[in-house]
Amino acid sequence: MKILYVEDNKINAVVMDKMLSKNACDVITVANASTALQEVSADSFDLILVDINLGINQMDGCELLKRFRLMDPLKTKPIYAVTAYALPGDEAHFLEKGFDQYFSKPVDFERLLSAIETIAE
Amino acid sequence: MPLASEKFRLIPEKTSLFLLVLKTNGKVLYYNNAFECFLSNIELSEESNIKNWIVDEDKSILQDVIQNLKLNKASQTVILRLWVSNGVLNYIKFDFSLAEGLIQATGMDITEESKEQQALCSLSKLTNTGAWFYDVEKKQLYWSTKCFTIHETTSDENITLERAFKFFKEDRRSTIKQHFDELLKLQQEYEYVEKIHTDKGNEKSIRVIAKPVVQNNKVVYVNGAIADVTEQQNYLEQLKKSEETKHLALKGIRSGLFDHNVSDSKIRYSNSFKKMLGLSLKHDYVTEDSFLERIHPDDLEEAIVRHHQNLQKDDKHYYNYYRIKHHNGEYRHYDVYGYKKLDASNNVTRIVGNLIDVQDKKEREQLITEQSGWLRAMINHGFDYAILLDTKGKILMADKNTVEIIKKDFNINPLVAPTLFIDVMPVNFKVPFAHEFNEALKGNVTKKQIERIADDGQMQWLQVSYAPICDQKKVVRSVLITFQNITDLKIAEYKIKEAHFKEQELSNLKSNLLSVFSHEIRTPLNGIITISKLLLDEHSMEERDKLVDYLDESKDRLLETLNNLSNYSEIETIQSTLKLEPTDINFEVESCFRNLKHQAQSKRLSYELHLSNTTPIAIIDKEVLSTALHNIIHNAIKYTEKGTIDIEVIDIAKKDLVHINIKDTGIGIDKKNLKKIFDPFVQESVGLSRKYEGTGIGLSLAKRFIEVLKGTITVKSHINKGTNFQIVIPKHL
Repeated sequence: MKILYVEDNKINAVVMDKMLSKNACDVITVANASTALQEVSADSFDLILVDINLGINQMDGCELLKRFRLMDPLKTKPIYAVTAYALPGDEAHFLEKGFDQYFSKPVDFERLLSAIETIAE
Repeated sequence: MPLASEKFRLIPEKTSLFLLVLKTNGKVLYYNNAFECFLSNIELSEESNIKNWIVDEDKSILQDVIQNLKLNKASQTVILRLWVSNGVLNYIKFDFSLAEGLIQATGMDITEESKEQQALCSLSKLTNTGAWFYDVEKKQLYWSTKCFTIHETTSDENITLERAFKFFKEDRRSTIKQHFDELLKLQQEYEYVEKIHTDKGNEKSIRVIAKPVVQNNKVVYVNGAIADVTEQQNYLEQLKKSEETKHLALKGIRSGLFDHNVSDSKIRYSNSFKKMLGLSLKHDYVTEDSFLERIHPDDLEEAIVRHHQNLQKDDKHYYNYYRIKHHNGEYRHYDVYGYKKLDASNNVTRIVGNLIDVQDKKEREQLITEQSGWLRAMINHGFDYAILLDTKGKILMADKNTVEIIKKDFNINPLVAPTLFIDVMPVNFKVPFAHEFNEALKGNVTKKQIERIADDGQMQWLQVSYAPICDQKKVVRSVLITFQNITDLKIAEYKIKEAHFKEQELSNLKSNLLSVFSHEIRTPLNGIITISKLLLDEHSMEERDKLVDYLDESKDRLLETLNNLSNYSEIETIQSTLKLEPTDINFEVESCFRNLKHQAQSKRLSYELHLSNTTPIAIIDKEVLSTALHNIIHNAIKYTEKGTIDIEVIDIAKKDLVHINIKDTGIGIDKKNLKKIFDPFVQESVGLSRKYEGTGIGLSLAKRFIEVLKGTITVKSHINKGTNFQIVIPKHL
């Protein structure tokens, strides 16, 4: 299972990477949208996890999703939102934007891992 | 004369007939004694010619006669008028004959008979009269020429009694025949006026007179005359009509003719008026006293005063007015118009005139007064300005305010001088006016709001209504334009809108604030929870140490957020509980600098501090300043990966200000985000257009804290080159 994780917060990126790697995932983390776009054009992933707030001056997760979906191989690839935006309405909002699933921070790993298992099958 | 005697053997001298012998050119060769007498003192001479005595008009008759005689015609009889020196026009009936080249003329003076005939002719002509007679024995009717003329029929027709009757109107014929029969039977003469239809189709009125001639007690002959009396008849009919008109008119205006005899105090009224008042018809008059009783008690005194004034004034006319009691007890208003008749010593003896019922007029007047009162009240109290226009746009009425404005601006009183509204209205009002006024003329009510600058320079809003005012037939007679000052209303409306907008803004702010803080808390919390889970399974000490460091960092970030949150929520409180004291800015900045030194050093940044040479003292709250400074320096370190963080304090003593500059060589902030960094919560809106890029809330808190100290914070930034914050603190609040 090859996963691309787009996350600007260094600590979150590192610890999520560790957690997923422990569960037999091959994770590549990138800190911003432009690096993410380079990665997906160079390599293919089974799942993409995208943080929404990617820092000041930076393209946000929603915009990045739009770009991804314009790329042929990513049209139907599972792309999940992993974000600290977790107020009522946020989930519906991001799903409407086109994310296949939504995970609020702190991440519920059991749910994330079971979703990953479903993809693997 | 002897000459002639010889030529004519027998010319009797002793006759009253005139005998003359003429040449064919009219020269007189001989005349007898009778003619000599007729000529009186004129002597016969060589030059004597009959033509000299004939009036010019008749000369051609003689000429014709002579011509005819020359053509061997038999003797000719004509009447010629002769004018001789006795000054009388004589009618002479001549009998001319030609014998042996000479003309013999026998004449008879018929002057007297002719004159009578002429007079009759003229009379007949003047009176349009024709004569007729009826021979009872022969059953024959004879008409004179004039009779035919009157009937406009040809005179050569044989007239019969039947035919004559047919000229009359069909429904009258039997009556007329009856008259004639009665005349024959009862020998009664008759006279009547009837209408006939002439042959030319004209309708005429004729007067017919018939008189029987009786012999042996039997009518043998009827003499008669007819006269055309159409004009006379028409005149009579017109007279009758105008008489009727007068009566109707008098009735129509419910008026009473009166004849007031001042000397005996008796008043005579027309019957219709007496009936109306319920006065007895038996008496020819009413007394002054009994009439005064009928006048309304409220009007009586003034009416009597006016009556006496009328009697005394020089003018012939009489005028008075009062209410009079009718037979049903109702009082009605009357105007009294009359003429005074004076006697030799200039005393009024009679007043003759007319009482005219003006009740309806009075009622209308009262209604109009009332209505105009209402309108005036409406105009003066219901609206700020109100103007009544006629259909041409002329001002009929306007309220006091409007009149004052027009008087002031145009020096015209529109209630006195006829004024078109368009000439005295505000300029910017002219275009909408034309349109709205036309709508009103069509009968539509329209409302419009206009803005204007009032005299005091303030904006003024007016609601203008155009209301057509129609008469009973729904024809627009005038247009009422009212202006209502709705400025207060408008201002209130704006205030409500503004308040609503602010409320919306506040609600957005609240929701953004919550969203930002929630995000800022969940981010480090995610780290903490994940790390905790990893620590449970991590056995390598090296990895554990790393994880613990991460945990520490996440904890710091969480704490910082929570501190900011509490500071943020306490801004209001802080503002009211400031601990103001003289503070050395150099010292405070250096403290902050030192507190964050390890962070800068861990990123291997060049971290520099330049304090002021002086000791800038400002009266501030230390805690507030240091929180703000901490957040800005912390932010600079966070977003700078390499290069320098440079902090500088400058004392602007002249202006009593202290500048604190924080420069970094970090990623910079693009222009569109520069405003946002201080106001992360005031985003366009929560929703689709929202950009999910955080700056945290440290800077916004810093800004608010500096503002609490009455200072300002500004930022300049270039992408990838760095950011420069400048804090300006006043030394005294």
